[in-house]
Amino acid sequence: MTTGPDLKAISATPGGAAATTRSHTVAKLIDTTTCIGCKACEVACQEWNNQQFTIGNFAGTYQTLPDLTHSFWNLIKFNESEQDGQPVWLMAKYQCMHCVDPGCLRACPAPGAIVQNANGIVDFNQDQCIGCGYCMTGCPFDVPKLNPITKKVHKCTLCTDRVSVGLEPACIKACPTNCLSFGTREDLLRKAETRVDALKEDGRPQAGIYNPEGVGGTHVIYVLAQADQPEKYGLPKDPRIPWTVALWKGPLKWAGNALLLGGILGAFLHYLRYGPKDSGKPADGID
Amino acid sequence: MALKTPASRQTASTETRIIRFSTAERTVHWAVALAFLYATLTGLALWSPRLFWLSAIFGGGTTVRAWHPWGGVLFALFFAVMFRRWNRQMRLDGDDRRWLRLAHRYAVHDESGLPEAGRFNAGQKALFWMQASSGSLLLLTGLVLWWPEIMPRLLREISVLIHPIAAVVSIGGLIIHVYMGTAAVPGAFRGMTQGWVTSEWAASHHSKWYREIRRR
Ligand code: HEM
Ligand code: SF4
Repeated sequence: MTTGPDLKAISATPGGAAATTRSHTVAKLIDTTTCIGCKACEVACQEWNNQQFTIGNFAGTYQTLPDLTHSFWNLIKFNESEQDGQPVWLMAKYQCMHCVDPGCLRACPAPGAIVQNANGIVDFNQDQCIGCGYCMTGCPFDVPKLNPITKKVHKCTLCTDRVSVGLEPACIKACPTNCLSFGTREDLLRKAETRVDALKEDGRPQAGIYNPEGVGGTHVIYVLAQADQPEKYGLPKDPRIPWTVALWKGPLKWAGNALLLGGILGAFLHYLRYGPKDSGKPADGID
Repeated sequence: MALKTPASRQTASTETRIIRFSTAERTVHWAVALAFLYATLTGLALWSPRLFWLSAIFGGGTTVRAWHPWGGVLFALFFAVMFRRWNRQMRLDGDDRRWLRLAHRYAVHDESGLPEAGRFNAGQKALFWMQASSGSLLLLTGLVLWWPEIMPRLLREISVLIHPIAAVVSIGGLIIHVYMGTAAVPGAFRGMTQGWVTSEWAASHHSKWYREIRRR
């Protein structure tokens, strides 16, 4: 699906997408303070998306796998930390953040392989994907993963197939503690603020919202008890599209095109003005 | 090395043919050129959305992504052969340095005061070293882009910038090179295809070289 009025941005497509009249965007809210690490969301994600589990190696942790994979899009990170001299887990659900300004989409050279829906969901179209892996470098969260056999990248779709027919994403549906919620981004930001206020009253002055500005905000929003240290949750502190990627896909493109076109044009103009060199010098004139 | 015109090829003019490039040299040159052209056209398909249509000519985006690196590696291999063969002849001497300082005169066909050129003029030598450095960068950064899934992030972030910059420099050099070798210097192209030039051509464009082979 690469056209239609419900798209906000299309990869490698000058001019972007058609204008949209939609005013509400969707979001997922993750309240890490109420996550119990049951992994119901991991299972629901695998089930709904019909994916096989990868068998990993036991690495001395309850965490399912060390990282997301091309067939595992939702990982509960069991971050080990300390609080009042006691070991604690800072559980954090990890998946695509559905950035407002997605670095993956900016980096992608294949028209239509990555789209941003008007509702905020960033989705990969594997049939347009050419397998270059540029999105893996563009994404400040290291989310997209390449399937080594098919050479296609995959990641969380925010269950766009469910959302588009009015259902909530599978992970939300499965969560037993209401740690996950789904709704409009506006509503959820308000809900997150309320929750943060409650946490602060509860003696957690560092509580806050994770909705990083560097990528224009995200459609996956966290409530963190220690929002001053998101690294503790396995979340980057100040994620931004790498400046080399921004330079490459911005000014460099224009400078490079100008140089190449200028070169070709320059050669033509040179010929018109000066013509070819003549080889008239008689050979005997030398030595 | 001066040749007598073979009886079968005699034409109206009594030109003397001089061998400019041996069969081996021409083979290597065109191998480098073909691999470079393939890498350029497939690379440009991904460089800009407005050039993505190029991928249709080369089998589609997925094929372009899979084969471009092999085209690049072939280019690097062929260039290594060319480098072994020519790098000593490409060293710049004092005359060449003075030539480069007066290159603007060469560009407008005012060759007064321009030092005489040997087998390769200083412009050709400069292009050779430019392509050698740029080609090395393309190879190193290309290897990083080839397997993003196992490369450290820092290397990838550097490579996405350096690979296209080096490519633009190389392609820019190629544009000048092709223009010089075809339209701008009549007779040069035949030197690289059939391998010979006339003595007038040699005396006019590479007088130091011409004198050298006359002495032999
Ligand atoms: C020397 C070995 C080379 C290797 C291993 C290599 C590898 C790669 C890889 C893996 C990519 C990413 C996408 C793709 O596969 O198409 C790429 C992109 C590209 N390559 Fe190469 N390449 C090499 C040489 C060259 C050469 C000789 C040129 C032309 C002068 C070139 C021009 C480009 C361009 C223009 C891009 C697109 C950059 C962008 O997306 O902005 N490459 N190369
Ligand atoms: S988190 Fe990564 S993959 Fe997801 S939208 Fe942002 S840049 Fe793209």
